[in-house]
Amino acid sequence: MIETKEEAKLNTYENSQELFKRAVKVIPTGIPGHLGPVQSQFIPTSDFPFYAERAEGSYFWDLDGNKFIDYMCAYGPNVLGYNNPVVDKAAFDQFKKGNCMALPGKVQVEFAELLVDTIEGADWAMFMKNGGDATSFALMIARAATGRKKLVRIKGGYHGVAPWTQVDGHAGVVSEDISNNLFMEWNDAEAFERLISDYPGQIAGLIATPYDHRIFTDNALPKPGYWQKIRQLCTDNGIVLIIDDVRCGFRLDMGGSAKYFGFEPDLACYCKALANGYNISSVVGKDSLRDAASKVFYTGSYWSSAVPMAAGIACINELKRIDGPRLMIEKGEKLTAGLKKTAEANGIDLVISGVPSMFYMRIANDNSLMMHQEFCAECAKRGVFFVSHHNHFINCSLSDEDIAKTLEVAEEAFRIVKKNNPDKCN
Amino acid sequence: MSRETVMSYINVFAVLKNMEELVRVDAASKELIKDKDMSIQFTVNKGPKAVLTFRNGEAQLTRGGGKAGIKLYFFSPDHFNKMMDGKANPVPYKGLTKISFLTGTFMKLAERLEYYLRPDEDKLRDSAYFKANTEMTAYAAFFALSEIGNRDEKALHSTAAIPDGKILVKVENGPAVTVIKENGILRTEKGEPESPRCILSFSSLESAHLVLNGKLDTYTALATGQMAMRGFIPMIENMNPILDQVAEYLQ
Repeated sequence: MIETKEEAKLNTYENSQELFKRAVKVIPTGIPGHLGPVQSQFIPTSDFPFYAERAEGSYFWDLDGNKFIDYMCAYGPNVLGYNNPVVDKAAFDQFKKGNCMALPGKVQVEFAELLVDTIEGADWAMFMKNGGDATSFALMIARAATGRKKLVRIKGGYHGVAPWTQVDGHAGVVSEDISNNLFMEWNDAEAFERLISDYPGQIAGLIATPYDHRIFTDNALPKPGYWQKIRQLCTDNGIVLIIDDVRCGFRLDMGGSAKYFGFEPDLACYCKALANGYNISSVVGKDSLRDAASKVFYTGSYWSSAVPMAAGIACINELKRIDGPRLMIEKGEKLTAGLKKTAEANGIDLVISGVPSMFYMRIANDNSLMMHQEFCAECAKRGVFFVSHHNHFINCSLSDEDIAKTLEVAEEAFRIVKKNNPDKCN
Repeated sequence: MSRETVMSYINVFAVLKNMEELVRVDAASKELIKDKDMSIQFTVNKGPKAVLTFRNGEAQLTRGGGKAGIKLYFFSPDHFNKMMDGKANPVPYKGLTKISFLTGTFMKLAERLEYYLRPDEDKLRDSAYFKANTEMTAYAAFFALSEIGNRDEKALHSTAAIPDGKILVKVENGPAVTVIKENGILRTEKGEPESPRCILSFSSLESAHLVLNGKLDTYTALATGQMAMRGFIPMIENMNPILDQVAEYLQ
């Protein structure tokens, strides 16, 4: 009998699962954080790999030898393509000279100069290791500069895992950690005005991502004039405007996502796409906050490592050279248009939101996401790595052939979802 | 609301509620009530009120007051909780002539309930006991979840964050409960709904037993497929911190 595509050999993950069994004995949760199978991204867990063996360009290979076109891009850091030769050469050259030394390398200054020249409105840059380091540092700068305690956040916004970023009732969080947080809805400048009025002279800063890209909800771009109004309110009331550009940074505009939306923050936080996978993050800021940034005591064991800084310089220069943001937006547009068309042909309402280089998608035929989870699982089994509910990432090395292969797999996956849910498809 | 008060709601609507299962699965308990037609109202000052009815060989716990042969009053949630721990007596104010049901049949039922809810390795070797213990533990946990989620100050944050809809919690080819979030309130019902928005499932009764009794952590269970979740995950994610509190209350 001729094997149909649906019956063709699908990925299996015996080695991943075996290693995970070892992991849970010695590592709490097996794989801590958001990359693990229990963080509800992999549904069902049996259809997804848990460990990667190697990666190159737009692909990674798991422990069982399965190859995936990767639309998670290490949750963002892979911006140029895995193992980019230009970035890796710069990193290895620096490695030979020295990495973690008693004094910072020359590259720290060079990288700061490059970021100040690249990101619109940035007068200085400081470096740390993770996005969460950057957002916490930015908050401390805002407090140091204003002498105020309160921080305005967007409901549902994500800024890392430090206690102040979390919610009451969650493990390890006490109400004092979050007692200075004030919340407003995204795209509601009037709500910000009300908070300013309710807490006169008490708000140190407002922190938000440049557009709303939380999970489990359609991503929402700023309304026309929204950021400009927020900028004005911050200026008028002495509030520090902090942009968390950790996820979007350099996927919208090399000048920063704030430039893309036409405003200037006081502080901006960068990480994921800063060095194509080498571990570094940064806060950049305006001259008016230079003194406060100097005063805040904030450091870490590896914050001056030179290798990630050399990688960062090469990454930013390479992104500029190839106009990375435009490239990724174009590739994202091509992919998402294809996915929507393929879904529609199968009676499936695929909603795609956000900027195409960092799109969010969900199947809207029911309100449970079960069909969407089925779709992602069918894709994973066929070598296309979408996860159930997170924005996805495009990287610069994604080829037209990759997109064509993805659409071929998606067509098959949509067909299976339709077959399993005939009453829910249009 | 004080911890004692929350505990009194759990004791009524999650622990006593298990009398319904007890007389269904336990032959000795079934025998005890087979010809009985009796209701007991529990009234806790500044706490819960419920009626437990034994009729036609079945038991049913209903919220609020109603017709009851015996009415018991408790001065405080603490008083009621102590009664549940065998350290205090209720104050009967109606049905004094039927008090023998309380001191006889009901006390024996309470002992049987404790027998099923306090397992040991010997008892668990019996498959019928194993099944009954696991099912009753699951019912106690998920009925307690709603009581905690609606009352405990810490849990209220998590309850508020649970989106509206029905969370089905089931054992494959086994029992099921549905946790419903509606109008800001949680409630638990037995059985499967037609359209759950989210599903948390155990692959087998054994998996459920291991997780519910703290012998297997949920992370390992989820990764190995002994537990699975699908659907609108924020419902489960925000239910989990309350489930952690269930273990704290019921330990």
